[in-house]
Amino acid sequence: MKKPLLTLAAFVATCAAHAEPVTYAIDPSHTFVSYEVNHMNTSTSRGRFDRKEGSVTIDRQAGTGKIDVTIDTRSIDTGVPALDTEMKGADFFNAARFATARFVGDKVSFDGDRVSAVSGNLTMLGKTLPVTLKATHFNCYTNPMLKREVCGGDFDTPLARSQWGMSYGVQYGVPDSIRLLIQVEAVKQ
Amino acid sequence: MRRAIVAAFIACCAASGRAEPVTYLFDAQHTQVQWETRHFGTSTQRGRFVSVEGSIVIDWQAGRGDVSVSIATADVSSGVPALDAMLRGAGFLASDRFPAAYFVARQLRFEGDRLQEVRGEFTLRGVSQPLSLRATRFACRLDAGLRRDVCGGDFEGRILRSDFGSTYGLPFVGDEVRLLVAVEAVRQP
Repeated sequence: MKKPLLTLAAFVATCAAHAEPVTYAIDPSHTFVSYEVNHMNTSTSRGRFDRKEGSVTIDRQAGTGKIDVTIDTRSIDTGVPALDTEMKGADFFNAARFATARFVGDKVSFDGDRVSAVSGNLTMLGKTLPVTLKATHFNCYTNPMLKREVCGGDFDTPLARSQWGMSYGVQYGVPDSIRLLIQVEAVKQ
Repeated sequence: MRRAIVAAFIACCAASGRAEPVTYLFDAQHTQVQWETRHFGTSTQRGRFVSVEGSIVIDWQAGRGDVSVSIATADVSSGVPALDAMLRGAGFLASDRFPAAYFVARQLRFEGDRLQEVRGEFTLRGVSQPLSLRATRFACRLDAGLRRDVCGGDFEGRILRSDFGSTYGLPFVGDEVRLLVAVEAVRQP
């Protein structure tokens, strides 16, 4: 009798923890926004943004949530300094005028307990357009060092950069299509 | 008439130069090795090596070749300086003792002119193990800027870091590491 009661108590405790929206703060060490674009039909060129911040709210019972990630476009890092300068320039991210890009996803789709997709708006070069990020991994775990719950995963989507006005080279065959990847881990507050 | 044909043949083949082995040197601006591993079964963590030197010798007629790559492991870049220091340490790359990782391959599989797979030996932390890299893209072009042939693409392989003696953080930091090699190599005169 004692055991089922304990189980029930644990169950109530678990559900109580998830009965209302839970806020998670993005862990910048394990959260990155990066992109992939093809170079001259040959190799894939990759870049990432090293400065970012944001938060995630999840209400598993209601099946709702929100993800908000802002990147500093000046922190673009391709590993090739000359290319970083080019990407920060007016033809691409125009970082002098638009120092940030932001994704706010307010429609979170669940597959059971797991987030399967997030739809929302991506603001880049001052222009806001709807995008949907597909979750390729999603999981929550208790981090033994932080002793707190951490949720996160991998999200990605193809984007046509010209929709945001980043059209440089498209007419000469520089690909319009880029792949946006967001890897995120967020710590329960 | 016959002389003209012979002259045309010589011109053709001297230009394409495909009658004997051709050496291509890696272009540092368009060559990177990215690695990916899962963190607590949740998000994919990535990093890259940008100091990648190497060459590929291809005998197009015989469908054979030779690949030689050297990676300076101390230049690992994850976007988080504290993590880079940890990655250079004894638990992961042990860069002090083993400043370079190597890939040497002589088994190249072609389908027509397209390189499909490169099989060789990867040396990390002084331990050598077989490694197969599959081409997900491969192409050659006459680069308009360089006025030389450039060949390259994307290659993908997987290792278990424990096979090379890196066991730190297992199983929370994944054992399986996916290697994504973006490479472009310029034909040498």
